[in-house]
Amino acid sequence: MASLLEQLNSQVNLGHIVLADRQFSLGKLQKRALEIRQQFPHFAKQSIAISYTELIDFVTALMAFDGWCQAIYLCPPNVSPKNILPANIDELVLWPIAEPTSGLNPNPDLASRLQHNASDTNQQLEQATNWYLATSGTTGEPKWCAHTFLSLTSSTKYSEKLLGLRWALLYQAFRFAGLQVVLQALLSGADLVDVTAGEPLAQVKLLQDKHVSAMSGTPSLWRQLLMTNKLAKVPLRHITLGGEIADQAILNQLSKMFPQAKIRHIYASTEAGVGFVVADGQAGFPRAWLNSTELAVSLKISAQEHLLIKSKHQFKQTSVAEYDAQGYMDTQDRVQIKDQRVLFLGRATGVINVGGNKVYPEKVEQVLLQVDEIKQARVYAKKNPVMGALVVAEVVLSAEIETMQFTEIKKQVLKTCKNQLQRFEIPTKIHIVKDIANNPSGKLNRTSN
Amino acid sequence: MNLEQKIKQAMQEVAELGDCQLVEPIQPNTLLLESGLDSLGYAMLVAQLEEDLGIDPFTELAIEIYPSTFAEFLAIYQQCLNTQ
Repeated sequence: MASLLEQLNSQVNLGHIVLADRQFSLGKLQKRALEIRQQFPHFAKQSIAISYTELIDFVTALMAFDGWCQAIYLCPPNVSPKNILPANIDELVLWPIAEPTSGLNPNPDLASRLQHNASDTNQQLEQATNWYLATSGTTGEPKWCAHTFLSLTSSTKYSEKLLGLRWALLYQAFRFAGLQVVLQALLSGADLVDVTAGEPLAQVKLLQDKHVSAMSGTPSLWRQLLMTNKLAKVPLRHITLGGEIADQAILNQLSKMFPQAKIRHIYASTEAGVGFVVADGQAGFPRAWLNSTELAVSLKISAQEHLLIKSKHQFKQTSVAEYDAQGYMDTQDRVQIKDQRVLFLGRATGVINVGGNKVYPEKVEQVLLQVDEIKQARVYAKKNPVMGALVVAEVVLSAEIETMQFTEIKKQVLKTCKNQLQRFEIPTKIHIVKDIANNPSGKLNRTSN
Repeated sequence: MNLEQKIKQAMQEVAELGDCQLVEPIQPNTLLLESGLDSLGYAMLVAQLEEDLGIDPFTELAIEIYPSTFAEFLAIYQQCLNTQ
């Protein structure tokens, strides 16, 4: 399999990356990527952590280091990679290169060894570069999932029609959702417009000004853009929904507003890579896809009614997920068969999906329990038509608390939450209850109400 | 309290809870996305109103056009209450 750079070199058509005030041809970035390889030959076959600074530099770094380095770790901006990367990686190059005086990159021993190895950089990598993407974990520590260029692009489409598209990038490129869009645009010769910054009204204006014709977002994001009442003016021909359950209502609204557009909802996760794409305008996916051999993935439903998935492209199994004896990964998504469709019901683990953001109930419960007056806490999802779900909590207070004090306690709880949780993680409702039921196995029952 | 007042009161509560600053005053033609609530704020508002009024028009009515102004938002709730 070719690397990202080789793949782009073989393409007749290359698009542009468009920012609010300027644009760059991909040809220019290819050249820059080659210069980086020449300038830093000692990076070959090393592991590299790329910290996101801005889109152009990030894409150039991906082009330079895929197929050149052993592993690339995609790191968010403004965080020291050393603080978030797995502790067992000891030899790691940091990109962009830190100032020599900062002493961050790389350690002196490693630097001299890298220079020493530089002579054999013309050799091809024996294995494809591993791309590591971070996903948030139960404790807030990121978990790193391994992918390859091949596994990340297994559902990328190429066709004449796709050439003329202009994709909007609405999610940061170091996240799985954003990276998917970047790769789709680059590899199909389409343009890519950075729309990651700003409020919905400003975003829709940029989409309109830059004539964006293809866009991918969570159902919650689409609902938000629909609320601007200006989305209809964006000449969309290619619409993708992902990251959350796409319900029939949102699919209908978009197909009514954009009758000519191709509307697809995509099933993918940071852990499993790309799963499959549904293009028939219906929620869920056809029942016939279960046990089908014609898809890029194999699908089946477990005894617990979870969706199990197995990619035909091999990638490393991670400790993040559970696998069965045949190598199927448990997606922890609960499904139901209805009228020849497999419909998604929500997460089995209790993980709450708030507009595409994962919330771990355990983490929120731990924060609630820090408040002295709270004896027990249960955090669960409440279905919501705007964001898919909201976080709700039930708490049991210490016996001696008077009703009068409830308001005060709620205020204190909110303060504690605001200090330690992101906004979407904070319970939107806190119910004070007498006791919290455990399920028969003694675990907290976190089934959505 | 009429429906409009109830919605405005719920907006105020949600804004306080969600750390949002509402614009003053909210007019019929105020754009929802410029009223000071973000999408999480709106999600909370719809949940709060479901509790206060016992209805969730977004789930109950097949809404074809999303409301973009306060007047449109109010009209959707009015319509849902009328059909009950």
